[in-house]
Amino acid sequence: MAANYWASTQRRHWLFTKERLADIRESFKERDKAAHSQFPLPDQRLLNIYFSQQLIKVGKRMSTRQQALATAQVYVKRFYTKNEIRHTNPYLVLTTAFYLACKMEECPQHIRFVVAEARNFWPEFIAPDVSKLGECEFALISEMSSQLIVHHPYRTLSELQPELSLTSDEVALAWSVINDHYLTDLPLLYPPHVIAVMAIIVAVVFKPSQTSFHGTAAPLAGAMRDGGMNILAALGDRTGGGPPPRIQKLIGWLAESEVDIRAVIECTQELVSLYEVWENYSEKHCKELLGRMVKSKNLDK
Amino acid sequence: MAVSPLPTRSPSTTLSTSNTAFRLKGVAARSPGNAPSPQILQNADRELTEQLNDNVRQRYMKDKKLGEGTYAIVYLGHLRTEPSSLVAIKKIKVNAEYKDGLSMDAIREVKYLQELSHPNIIALHDVFSSKDQNLNLVLEYLPLGDLEMLIKDGNIHYGAADVKAWMGMLARGVWFCHENFILHRDIKPNNLLIATDGEVKLADFGLARSFADPYLNMTHQVITRWYRPPELLYGARQYSGAVDIWSMGIVFAELLLRVPFVAGNSDLDQITKICEAFGTPTEENWPGVTKLPTYIPADKGHIVPVQGRDFFLRQFPTAGPVGADLLMSMCTLNPSKRSTACQVLQHRWWFTEPRPTNKEDLPRKAGGSQKMGSDLTRKGGELDDSPFKDTARQLDFNAM
Repeated sequence: MAANYWASTQRRHWLFTKERLADIRESFKERDKAAHSQFPLPDQRLLNIYFSQQLIKVGKRMSTRQQALATAQVYVKRFYTKNEIRHTNPYLVLTTAFYLACKMEECPQHIRFVVAEARNFWPEFIAPDVSKLGECEFALISEMSSQLIVHHPYRTLSELQPELSLTSDEVALAWSVINDHYLTDLPLLYPPHVIAVMAIIVAVVFKPSQTSFHGTAAPLAGAMRDGGMNILAALGDRTGGGPPPRIQKLIGWLAESEVDIRAVIECTQELVSLYEVWENYSEKHCKELLGRMVKSKNLDK
Repeated sequence: MAVSPLPTRSPSTTLSTSNTAFRLKGVAARSPGNAPSPQILQNADRELTEQLNDNVRQRYMKDKKLGEGTYAIVYLGHLRTEPSSLVAIKKIKVNAEYKDGLSMDAIREVKYLQELSHPNIIALHDVFSSKDQNLNLVLEYLPLGDLEMLIKDGNIHYGAADVKAWMGMLARGVWFCHENFILHRDIKPNNLLIATDGEVKLADFGLARSFADPYLNMTHQVITRWYRPPELLYGARQYSGAVDIWSMGIVFAELLLRVPFVAGNSDLDQITKICEAFGTPTEENWPGVTKLPTYIPADKGHIVPVQGRDFFLRQFPTAGPVGADLLMSMCTLNPSKRSTACQVLQHRWWFTEPRPTNKEDLPRKAGGSQKMGSDLTRKGGELDDSPFKDTARQLDFNAM
């Protein structure tokens, strides 16, 4: 992390409203109807999941720091607010975002190593020639107007831990909720502290059992459904003696803070719908459609 | 949190709306309202990168070359629409390191300057790429050279009030970096450029980085040797803004003496010179120093006691007693005892006579634009005075 979020390029140039984001995507469609009908791609939300998970795979394999991976996730999202997916080779974009993010977060990986690893995962889409990556790095930087610093919610979480006396389980859970938010558009829609607060609420209020919560979305989605939207009710109704003291404390803190509660609620809902969409997600399906598009448009050349 | 007093600047924002030239292949059916400029359309089949940033690039004209180094070429340029608005265009040579992607120096420079906006930090107006895949940084034009030039020129006379003005501007720039969690890591007189109005601007962020997370290691091979603090010379991998404060202190000393104060000709010699000047680091004056990775035990018979105020006053009479006190606090061996940028700014020296000179009235020297050219093309951490100055970058065996 560097610089000040409130004066940052992230806040000034890379924060969108939902409507704006939808408009942008609609305009891509308008501009190139032919490509859209010829190459149907899965729903944006499914693509988000697919891209994120591919990145996570690469990151795991190369044991990268979480911070760099998170930055790469945001780069991919920013890039696709400027460019139609159908005009790019998404695998090259993913690899490049990863490569650039590693440099940016001061844990650089050698370009040859990155290309070699990417070819392990997507041999048919990544050329062995490293200069392709160099070229794309350039494009990526330009498309992002060289605004490269990304602020993440993790730090807010660590800072709030003592203040809200969160248990280590809760922190771990909130941490994974933050990880999950990179599978959605949320990083483009809300400031990092709002995301962090959302993650804390989810962790404290819904508290799905830690043992069952491992990588899959189902338990959390279930917990959130079962718990209904209690949290929302609790937030609105501070006089009702309902919620237990632990939650009461959190609500009290929220009420005194100047965090945008409406935004927090919207984030929570976005996350709930991620978990729902996730249940219908098929990696194979995404892979096939993207593969067909890249191959037939020769985007990998 | 530090908020810059300057209004938000970033002409690059215009880029975001105009920059759809990317990958025009297959977008020929674009609606006329959104049609890119005819020139771009003609070349619709050009390679991807060639089409980037045409709009920004066309906003600027390159005039003459100001300087060339191993790492970059600097041109004087201006806005196409406004010939009087001068800028410096730093073209980073990618081809040399093309196979390895963009160099870390270039990336760091863009990354930090894009976010930092402060009167004492060089402004980055725009970034664009040119045909041959070079990154061009459009920087504020600073025609009056740098502090090194003024220090070295015997025809220029300056006094305590001038030093105070320069140091004040330097201290504010460094404070702003630290307040934004950024370490500059290469503060020295020739990275301190001077604007038309006399304002000092911190430049060259090629070695800068954000504060590392606790316990994460950073490299100790930063900061040009003469300005490198003892903890880095001893190989510390975890350090703080104190490294910049040390450099600032050495710059302060150099401004007063008009020669580099501790100028070692190797890293080892640098440590020796520091010990002779400021005292030998020991467990007593710097707990933990002996545990640093490349700590060299001092010769028992030759331990110099840590220098007190008298020494600084004797060595730097022009600073005055309060100034000597400030210098001492910046050149404290133990980094955790050294002043922070904020403490430097709060020091009594700024309030004691003489008052700092107004920036417009500071001594100045012509011919600075060439100097800017050479300053901006240097690779981070290099000394200009090396005997191989004009040859290719020399092998640095210490770095291996």
